[in-house]
Amino acid sequence: MKGQFTCVVCPTSCVVHAEWNETELQSTDHAQCKLACDYVRGEIFDPRRTVTSTVRVDDGDLPLVSVKTDPPVPKATMFEVMQHLAHVVVKAPVNIGDIIVANVLGTGSNIVATKKIVLKV
Amino acid sequence: MRTEEVDVAVIGGGPAGLAAAVAARKAGAQNVVLIERGEQLGGILNQCIHDGFGTKNMGKALTGPEYAQIYIDQASAAGVTCHLNTMVLNLTPERELTLCSKEGVRHVRAKSVVLTMGCRERTRGAIGIPGYRPAGVFTAGVVQYYMNIRNLSVGRRVVVLGSGDVGLIMARRLTLEGAQVPCVAEILPYPSGLMRNVVQCLEDFGIPLYLSTTVIEIHGRDRITGVTLAKIGPRGGVVPGSQRLVECDTLMLSVGLIAENELAKKAGVALSPITGGPIVDDHFQTSVPGIFSAGNALQVHDLVDYVSLESEKAGLSAAKYADAGKLRVANIKVTPGRGIRYVVPQYIGGDESVDFSMRVEAPDLDRSVVFRSGSQTVRKMKENVVAPSSMIRFRVRSERFQKIGSELTVELEA
Repeated sequence: MKGQFTCVVCPTSCVVHAEWNETELQSTDHAQCKLACDYVRGEIFDPRRTVTSTVRVDDGDLPLVSVKTDPPVPKATMFEVMQHLAHVVVKAPVNIGDIIVANVLGTGSNIVATKKIVLKV
Repeated sequence: MRTEEVDVAVIGGGPAGLAAAVAARKAGAQNVVLIERGEQLGGILNQCIHDGFGTKNMGKALTGPEYAQIYIDQASAAGVTCHLNTMVLNLTPERELTLCSKEGVRHVRAKSVVLTMGCRERTRGAIGIPGYRPAGVFTAGVVQYYMNIRNLSVGRRVVVLGSGDVGLIMARRLTLEGAQVPCVAEILPYPSGLMRNVVQCLEDFGIPLYLSTTVIEIHGRDRITGVTLAKIGPRGGVVPGSQRLVECDTLMLSVGLIAENELAKKAGVALSPITGGPIVDDHFQTSVPGIFSAGNALQVHDLVDYVSLESEKAGLSAAKYADAGKLRVANIKVTPGRGIRYVVPQYIGGDESVDFSMRVEAPDLDRSVVFRSGSQTVRKMKENVVAPSSMIRFRVRSERFQKIGSELTVELEA
């Protein structure tokens, strides 16, 4: 099979021309770095995304803490992850890197805090 | 009233101000103050919860708050004095600042000043869309603040006008949070944001992008009920018969950013009509000696990574000026030629290597950016893809400036 992919890894946004079969990526063209090839392989066989969102915080200086999936989750599970996060509430204080939800929906990815939230004074 | 004396005063505590203040301290400036109008440091990064920050200067993709925290920690470790909830009301060419906070008004005299106030969004008023003025018309940055910081919903069905990066990112965010985004309309024949955002924010979610299309009317009296979209022809007029109504309860605008330079104007700093920011030399010094500028206040960036790098240089220069009371003159003029909209810095000294930033006028493929002085080619660099949305940056080494005259031009060539 043949196709074109716009790499989203960095702002260069390489448009990569790729050829592949059922099991492997056979060739790529116009990729400026290896990361773009890895991205294309992922897009073909196992597309994943870092979902970034927010969850509610009790007693924090702000009502929300920002979070991300680490590592990225399968693209098809993005909306399920969002549904799950809608019901999560954490207590302040929160630090960057705190695991908010471990192994979210059995994907093997954690939901990790990306912002520092201190106790409300 | 007492006037406080400092070495370097940095105005604005976003990514540019943080990097400049840290660099000034590291360069040996004793008393570096960072003045921030808001209640926390980090600026707009605090609401940019998406990832992709740091791919160029940290080798990994971080979210905005994570990227900001790295610099906030550095500022604290470097001994930068931070004044939060403090607004600078005035700046004189002699570098005297008037500060206002809950404690009252006070004055600071700085040996050098770095202007890092960032930018603000263009609004409905700036683009003049006819119709009533119902509730439900927001700029993308305001939607981002409401959703990501304040936990407030803006609407259920949101039309996006303009394809700037924040607009694309918020189209995805709204969709993930359960709102409907029927379309993004862009008046230009090409997207204003980065291609990676068109792909991962719109294509991933099946949100259509209508190019050469704009909103020609806003409907609704109390709350917006819909917009009329129309195709725009090559000469700028509405294509007859192309009008159509799209129902919505919210219109989100992502129609450009304006460098914020009220203080620069008060200090008599010369501004570029194209970037909206100060005209600077390769030390990021403005037309007023001892006043420097960097980040989005200088030129609107698409990547925070380059904001940090540029601001470090500005902070270093400000520390040198604070120490020596002057910097060498830069009188080689750099002007944009064919295909180039602007280039920063606008003046260079010719004795140091320079990282130039520039934007092209229109999208194109397989071009070369060429620096010329008279008939001499100073530097030539191939670019596979060029677009106004992607700032081009590259370094020209000092050896290359050895034989140039007093002018340098930058052009796009086939």
